[in-house]
This record gives sequence, structure tokens and C-alpha cells, in this order.
Amino acid sequence: MLIKILGSGCAKCNRLEQLTREVVAELGVEATFEHVKEIDKIMAYPIMTTPALVVDEEVKVSGRIPGKDELRGWLS
Amino acid sequence: MELVTAALQSGLASLASYLAAHVLLCLVPAFFIAGALSALVPQQSIIHYLGPDAPKYISYPAAASAGSLLAVCSCTVQPLFAGIYSKGAGLGPAVAFLFFAPAANILALSYTGVALGAEFAIARIVLALCFGIGIGLLMALIFRRSEMVRTGANATNGVFAKGEGIPRQNLIFLGVLIALLIGGTLKLDWLITPLFSTTLHWDLATTVQAVLDRLVPVNEIRGAEGLSLQGLMLIAMLLLIGGVGFRGLGQVDNGFNRQTPVALALIAATLIFAALDIRAIDGGLVVTITGRSLAVLVLITAILPLARRFDLWDMQQWLWETWRFVRMIFPLLVVGVFLVGVIRIFIQPEWVQFIAGSNTVLANLAGVAFGVFMYFPTLVEVPIAKMFLSLGMHPGPLIAYLMADPELSLQSILITSAIIGKLKAWTYVGLVALFSTLAGLTYGAWVDGTSLWLLVMGVLGIVGLIVGSLHLIDRTRVA
Repeated sequence: MLIKILGSGCAKCNRLEQLTREVVAELGVEATFEHVKEIDKIMAYPIMTTPALVVDEEVKVSGRIPGKDELRGWLS
Repeated sequence: MELVTAALQSGLASLASYLAAHVLLCLVPAFFIAGALSALVPQQSIIHYLGPDAPKYISYPAAASAGSLLAVCSCTVQPLFAGIYSKGAGLGPAVAFLFFAPAANILALSYTGVALGAEFAIARIVLALCFGIGIGLLMALIFRRSEMVRTGANATNGVFAKGEGIPRQNLIFLGVLIALLIGGTLKLDWLITPLFSTTLHWDLATTVQAVLDRLVPVNEIRGAEGLSLQGLMLIAMLLLIGGVGFRGLGQVDNGFNRQTPVALALIAATLIFAALDIRAIDGGLVVTITGRSLAVLVLITAILPLARRFDLWDMQQWLWETWRFVRMIFPLLVVGVFLVGVIRIFIQPEWVQFIAGSNTVLANLAGVAFGVFMYFPTLVEVPIAKMFLSLGMHPGPLIAYLMADPELSLQSILITSAIIGKLKAWTYVGLVALFSTLAGLTYGAWVDGTSLWLLVMGVLGIVGLIVGSLHLIDRTRVA
């Protein structure tokens, strides 16, 4: 699956990427990561706040860091 | 050599008064509130008022409150600004949001209130609110033609959907934290009244205090508060918190570890200790418990059962966000405060009084210009303003400076122009400079005793004049 992290490179965005990578490793699923930092590309998604997590072009969460349980639900 | 010693002493004095009890009682809760706003307020609860169909009387105030509630961190400012501009309520509310955010976040406001006085904090928030919305309306008016052409090409489906509101327990929690901030800082009678006083016997008390006084002299004219024994203890406790906090709070998002409760207990103890009144007398220390000490104690005790009702993950996020703010802002602030103290030695009060000693247009422009060309990290504008105030700057130009400095840095101008284009960005800069000057003049006139009604009428008159002439220009261009 294709996982995109949308965010301007702030601490929260990096934390979200780190958490997501951890969950992906736990679950052992195949995934490509992309960290989108350009504001116009971010704004192409229906979100107003970063960080946001996009899995296969579907926005899962924006504006907050989800817990690991939530992440597992989206990634498995 | 003497000059170097004097400069270092002035730097230390400035740090000591920064770490004094009343500043701690304001900044520590403010950091926790900032963390809670960031972790516990669902952003959707405010964003859904900012949709493209929202009427003006809702979108502008909503944009302003988004500025003070959501934008504590600069990393939310940029996407939110771009989002409001390109998908939501448009240029006007986006500009109001951008203007209001740095002036009215909880950290800036509470620190301003404690360091400069409550009237400056109130002036800052009221003037920023009025002029932020004013600038937003003006920008929307000036560019309304290009705004109409701009099509909503971006995806908006579901962005402004009505999300969940703010849960009640989150509101109560925030309320208690805010009460702690207010109880720790306001100078109300029942908070200052001594309730109970006791003397601890300690022969060396005056000797130690004398040493501290020699190291960091008290100078009332300059506003240097010196370093008390209590202050020294507080600094030691802060260092301890810093040591434990790195693991206890910085890594709390992996689960509570053994140092988390230690760090939290230390912070609670520091706050309660700071709320006591301790003075050195001959042969001992007088410890006085005031209404404030009790209020702080009660509120801190109330936080624990409230916090237990949250999900573990929410609490971890709260503490992690709080620590992130501390780590991001505190070190820069400490260095900034020290440097401000050092520089102060080299600035003659006559210079400041000559340029900005009275409330003239020129003085206010000077305040704005200083704010535009100097860039200081978040919150450092406050000790700088305090320095100017003690050097004899008039409150009017000071407010002009305080309005312009966080709004207009080179960095923010660049970000803005990348999102809304150069022409709009520079128009915005011009308007902010104009309105900051106006804000300074207004506040200065109020301090000098002009009646409030006259000022309100004056400001309304000027704004009306600008709007009216814009309208006229627009019509002649069409005709």
C-alpha cells in the first residue's frame, strides 16, 4: 500500500511518520512511504490541518496523532 | 572590565527576575494549557465554522478564535492559513486568522500580563482582535475582484463537516488549568492576604541573602528584582525538572515511564513552593501562606482526579505536547532574556526617550519599524518590551512595537507571499504597519487620559474613511 504523511516537517509530522513505520513493521505489511511537504500538494487533499495520514489516497486522520491501535485498524 | 561585570550582572538580574516566582506561576501553567489546547481540542470543532458558505459575522470571529486556540504552534499556522484561504471562508478570514494568532496565543498573553502588566495584555488582545478583523475585511474588499475570479479548484468534500464538539471533560480540564494560571498570577486582594505565617530558624539566612544581593543587585529604578533565596531554590528545582523531564515527559508517548510521575510531582511541588512567600530575616526565614498558596494547592490537587478520567493516550499526548513547547521555546527564551539584560547596559535611556518617549506618530512609526526589522524568537519580544518600558518608552509606541514584531518577520512575509501571492502579501504588510501605528496611537492616547469614546469614534472614523475611499476608487475605476 502507499502511505503518505502530509506535513510541513514539524515535530508532530515526524512523530506520526515514526509511529506509522513502527506499526507497519509490527504488522509486516508491504508499504511505500512518502512524506509530502509542499503546501499546494497538501492542500489538494480535503484537509485543513497537519499532520495528516493518507493511505492509498484516502485521508485517514488529520490534525492529530492517532494512537497505535487506531493505526493498526487502518493498516491491516 | 567594569563594564563587562556590569553587563553580566545585568544579564543575570534579568534572568533572575525572569525565573522569579510570579513568572513561573504564569509560564508553567501556560505551557500546560498550550499543550492541552494542542492535544485535547479537536480542530474540527472550530474549522467547521470556516467553510466557504459561512456568513461573515461567523467566519471572522471563528478565524480569530482559531488563531488563539489552534495556532499555538507555528506548524499549524501555515496549513490552516492556506486552507482557510483556498478552500474555506476566503482571504479576509484567513488574514484575520494570521494576524490574531501570534498576538493572542495563551503563552504570549499570559507572559505579557505578568511581565508588563495586565493592561498591556488586555490592550494586546482587544486591539489585535479589532484590527485583525479590520485588516481582514479591508483585504477582502481591496482584492474582491481577483477573489471572485479565483475558483475553488481544491477538494473540499467533508473538510468543513460538523465534527464532534469539544467534550465536556476536556473543557472542565482546560478550565481548571486556566484557573490555575489566573490564581497564580492575578494580584487580587484575597489572593495576596497572608493567612498564616511561621519563622524557620536558620542562622545563615541573612548572610546567604547578602551574598545573593551582591551577585545580583536589586535595582528598583531599572526593574531588577534581585535574586531571593526562594528564587535560588526555584532555579534549582527547575534544573531538576529539566533533567527528569527529558525522559519522563519527552518520551511519554511511548507510555508512562518511571520518571513521568517524578517529573509531574516535581512540577507540582515547584508551583506550590513558588506560591509561598519566603523572606530572609535576621536568624531565620519567614514563610507566609497566602490565599494564592491555597488556591494553587487546591487546583493542582483537582487536576489529578480530572486527568484520570481521560484515555491514557490523550494524557500522553497532552504531556508530550507540553514538553515539546517547553523544549522549543524555553531555551531560546532564557538566552534571549539574558542577552536583553546584557544589552540594556549599553542603551542610554535618553536615546529611547528621545525617539519614543511620547505618544507621537513618529514615535509609533519607530516602534513599528523596530518590530519589522528585528526578528526575535517567540515570546522574547516581551522582555525586550519590558526593557524599553523601563528605559522610558511611552506605552503607546510600545504597543505599536508589540503588535508589529510577531506579525511581521521576514519569514512570515515569505510564507504569506508563497500562499497568497506577492501583491496581496505586501498589501498585508502595509496594512499591518499602518494599523499597528494606529493601535499604538490609540493605546497611548488612552494612557494619556483621552476618553475611551472619543478614541472609539476616532478609530471608527479612520477605518470608515479608508473603506469609503477604497469604495470610491473602485467605482471610478469601473466607470
